[in-house]
Amino acid sequence: MSYHDQLQQTKTTPTGSTGSPFAPHTEADVEAMLQAIGAESIEDLFDIPASVRFDAEFGIEAASEQEVVQRVTKVLGQNDSAIEFLGRGHYDHYVPSLVDHLADRSEFLTSYTQYQPEVTQGFLQALFEYQSLLVELTGLEIANCSMYDAATALGEAATLSQRVRSVSGNRVLVPDILRDERRAVLENYASGSSLVIDEYSTTNGVVDPDALSGVLDDDVALVYVENPTTTGLIQEQLEEIGTLLADDDVLFCLGSDPIALSLLQPPASIGADVVVGDASVLGLGSAYGTGLGLFACREKFLRQVPGRLVGASRDESDHRAYTLTLQTREQHIRRERATSNICTNQAWVALRAAIHASLLGPDGLVDLAKKCHQLPEALAKELNEIDGISAPVHDGHHFREFRVSVEPDAEDLVSNLYAEGVAVHAVDADTIQICVTDINERQTEELVTAITKVLD
Amino acid sequence: MQQHDQAVWNDTNTDGYEPLLSEKDQTAIDVEYEGLPDDLTRETLELPSLSEPEVARHYTRLSQMNYGIDSGPYPLGSCTMKYNPRFTEDVAARSEAAVHPDRAEESVQGTLQLYHELQEYLGRIGGMDAVTLQPPAGAAGEFTGILVAKAYHERNGEGEQRSEVIVPASAHGTNFASAAMAGYDVVELPGDEDGRVDLDALRSAVGEETAALMLTNPNTLGLFERDIEEIADLVHDAGGLLYYDGANLNALLGRARPGDMGFDIMHYNVHKTFATPHGGGGPGAGPIGVTAELESFLPTPQIEEKDGEYELIEPAHSVGKVHGAMGNWLVLIKAHAYICRLGDEGLKDTSAKAVLNANYLASQIDLEIPFGPFHHEFVASAGELDAADFAKRMLDYGVHPPTTKWPEIVSEALMTEPTEAESKTTLDQLAAAFNAVASEEEATIAAAPEKTSARYIDQTSAARSPQLSWHALSSDE
Amino acid sequence: MEFEIPAERRYAESHEWAANQTDTVRVGISDFAQDELGDIVFVDLPPEGETLDQGEELGVLESIKAVSDIYVPVAGTVTAINEDVIDSPELINEDPYGDGWLVELEPEGDLEHLLDAAEYEEMI
Repeated sequence: MSYHDQLQQTKTTPTGSTGSPFAPHTEADVEAMLQAIGAESIEDLFDIPASVRFDAEFGIEAASEQEVVQRVTKVLGQNDSAIEFLGRGHYDHYVPSLVDHLADRSEFLTSYTQYQPEVTQGFLQALFEYQSLLVELTGLEIANCSMYDAATALGEAATLSQRVRSVSGNRVLVPDILRDERRAVLENYASGSSLVIDEYSTTNGVVDPDALSGVLDDDVALVYVENPTTTGLIQEQLEEIGTLLADDDVLFCLGSDPIALSLLQPPASIGADVVVGDASVLGLGSAYGTGLGLFACREKFLRQVPGRLVGASRDESDHRAYTLTLQTREQHIRRERATSNICTNQAWVALRAAIHASLLGPDGLVDLAKKCHQLPEALAKELNEIDGISAPVHDGHHFREFRVSVEPDAEDLVSNLYAEGVAVHAVDADTIQICVTDINERQTEELVTAITKVLD
Repeated sequence: MQQHDQAVWNDTNTDGYEPLLSEKDQTAIDVEYEGLPDDLTRETLELPSLSEPEVARHYTRLSQMNYGIDSGPYPLGSCTMKYNPRFTEDVAARSEAAVHPDRAEESVQGTLQLYHELQEYLGRIGGMDAVTLQPPAGAAGEFTGILVAKAYHERNGEGEQRSEVIVPASAHGTNFASAAMAGYDVVELPGDEDGRVDLDALRSAVGEETAALMLTNPNTLGLFERDIEEIADLVHDAGGLLYYDGANLNALLGRARPGDMGFDIMHYNVHKTFATPHGGGGPGAGPIGVTAELESFLPTPQIEEKDGEYELIEPAHSVGKVHGAMGNWLVLIKAHAYICRLGDEGLKDTSAKAVLNANYLASQIDLEIPFGPFHHEFVASAGELDAADFAKRMLDYGVHPPTTKWPEIVSEALMTEPTEAESKTTLDQLAAAFNAVASEEEATIAAAPEKTSARYIDQTSAARSPQLSWHALSSDE
Repeated sequence: MEFEIPAERRYAESHEWAANQTDTVRVGISDFAQDELGDIVFVDLPPEGETLDQGEELGVLESIKAVSDIYVPVAGTVTAINEDVIDSPELINEDPYGDGWLVELEPEGDLEHLLDAAEYEEMI
């Protein structure tokens, strides 16, 4: 069927099936093929017992491409337009246009997992470069080429701890401010083993080594710390925490992202064993939470690492060539003893992140990260001038976001702000949280105006 | 056969086919920032610093060394590598689609409507009463489905007792791994000599320890499990649940539904059946559908519609979450658009053409296909030849080979799924490639591939002495 | 294909061999087994001092395409592991009965229950 025929297709007609626009068969093709097979009709090819046949309709009308695009655009138009000052673990930054144009090249977009490396050297190399980017940013020797998102990456870190011989305990300690969603995913990853998830107290996410020390015992297998935390605060005593957790018997797992890591302390230098987080801060943005799970760790855990790994090798003409390696860890070989059940990952999102990082280079990454500190600091100061609120709530250094003290009820304030076209978080009855990055830095005036107006 | 070359380039750093970014440039910078105390920041950072044109050229060249479904056929069994309709990319790229996950419900009614519609459509397509879109991949869907089964049994006071999940020996590795991740012992079920579930073996295997049986239908040989209703009865009578692995759903679209066959839980692979792009390994999405009885165990939140308003609801006995947010939304929105485009007749035609194409391709191939009648995929045997070598030689004919050496019931297996999106002409070319290789000397095949850019990559060294970053390279060279 | 099967050793059905030494028993995998596995890339062995029952899992050998569990052919306590194969797994492929040995055990019981060379050859 030609594209022209496809364009003519609209709704079902009573007399004939319009068929799939993506199946290229003409009637003559179908005839010839049936003849070659030796079948009377396509129906005869199906071996489905009558008792389980489905003869009804789904009630989904076919539509042309134009109709679908128009309809979906219209539905999405029902979303309120709002300038988002939202963060708490999902962040937006400006993604350069070239990222789309390169990542959308069909050789990348429509390719499969690189099980035949000879014809997929391009994507393998791109993933190798992505792994290298994370190795540089974390200082750890191994980074895989993606997990689904930050929450599932944390889950994988927890199950990793149980596979590591030197770790004998089964308790995972997470900060009290850990987002509920991440905790919930972690609980599920833990549910298949004897892992237990417990909380430790922090001061708005900032970890006090002495307090942490008080809750450590021989049963602890992994301690998770976020830097920056989803309250926006930057950790101030990571080195002390690293020292506290230096024992081989416990894993120090740090949660972060590639932009933060460009400026803040390298995980390897503060004694982290594993780094998880969301790398889609580069290349994608918050995308309703789609995510790109970051997973990096020390070399000694190599055999226990989940997810795909791309390695460099040589081919017969002695050129460097890339290949998926150490596949015996994975489900298709090790089955129920695999390090993880993960198969399909976020490879294409990793490609986008790598392209974005290549465009920024080290200077661009560091400048962007500095902005992530400067912008919230400046905005908090500005908001503090407004009567009825005070910002930032917490003493300390902020990255991308900060909390603001408001008169109760914060929910009402947030609601009213939505009506003015800006979106912020309601944290509790008298606190809101605001995230500002390069993506919305030129719209802070609208935020200030909106808040001023609503509080009047 | 014509061979066409992409533009040839000549870089001075040609240790690899295309230099690494780090070989084009490495710039070490001192990281200095008065805004933060020195001890809270890093000291240096070393990464490639390249101009935009250099980045454009680098990735363009990498793309030219990569094969995608737009390049040529990809008849990988159980992967359903079909054409990815480009308009779905446009839909996903609309900026209104990419809202922040913490937006208030009332303010993102458009997004929630699409999300809800997809829940609905998948439910109808699979014959399931409720669907969650949260699992971000097929394996994640399996894990979620098993968690639902676990929660169901626990609520019935049989959580401890039902410690086993039964998986056919020919099943995908993720089935085993997902069940194990949820804490189950996996019981492997042998198939019968016809390649289908051995009912006697199943009778012995099910019992009061059975939490679930995981099956795909048609199976990996492409055969429909004719006894599926009896299988369902056996499992249900023993108090277990029946789980459907949706990898092969393309064969059944519009003609049969797992829910009608007795399956209680199923996952969908939207990057297979619903044509979202594979993206070099992901992202995909693995929504799961369940019967009404299991609806209350679904992950949270579910989107429900009430008087035209969409809201986020926490199911009464929810298993919690399997993703930090709502799943791979940017992928899901593409699947939604695909379903809207095709509609009932398009979906039904998809399974028709998928099965027609597999049968036609099989009729044109000179290799033995021991098991039938198959549907959307078949497993040929490379006979005396090694299947992996056979596959490498197919690369020289400009086609991506089928899946090799699985399922093991066929010796030197070549699991082949052309999908509905290939034309008769392409199928003839594909068959010609199969037949050309099948008639070649063993020595020629063993020497393959000859025409690909990289050849005979040393897998052993890659595994014995892994080099997983450019840092690892520079310390050796 | 001809596989080496030294006469003086005993063999388990799971393809491990055992050789009597003065006070200990040395254990490895057969020529047939190393050929089946392909190029071995990783060896995982238990620590010294570990006590194992007969048939219990002794360790794991990985090649590119497969993972193989190895089982202890006779019960005992591990007295030595071959560090060389940990660093150079290819020794197992190259010299499965010599330098490619895996562990030494202080055995509980004898090797009579295992197959002799002729019986093992029959089996494969």
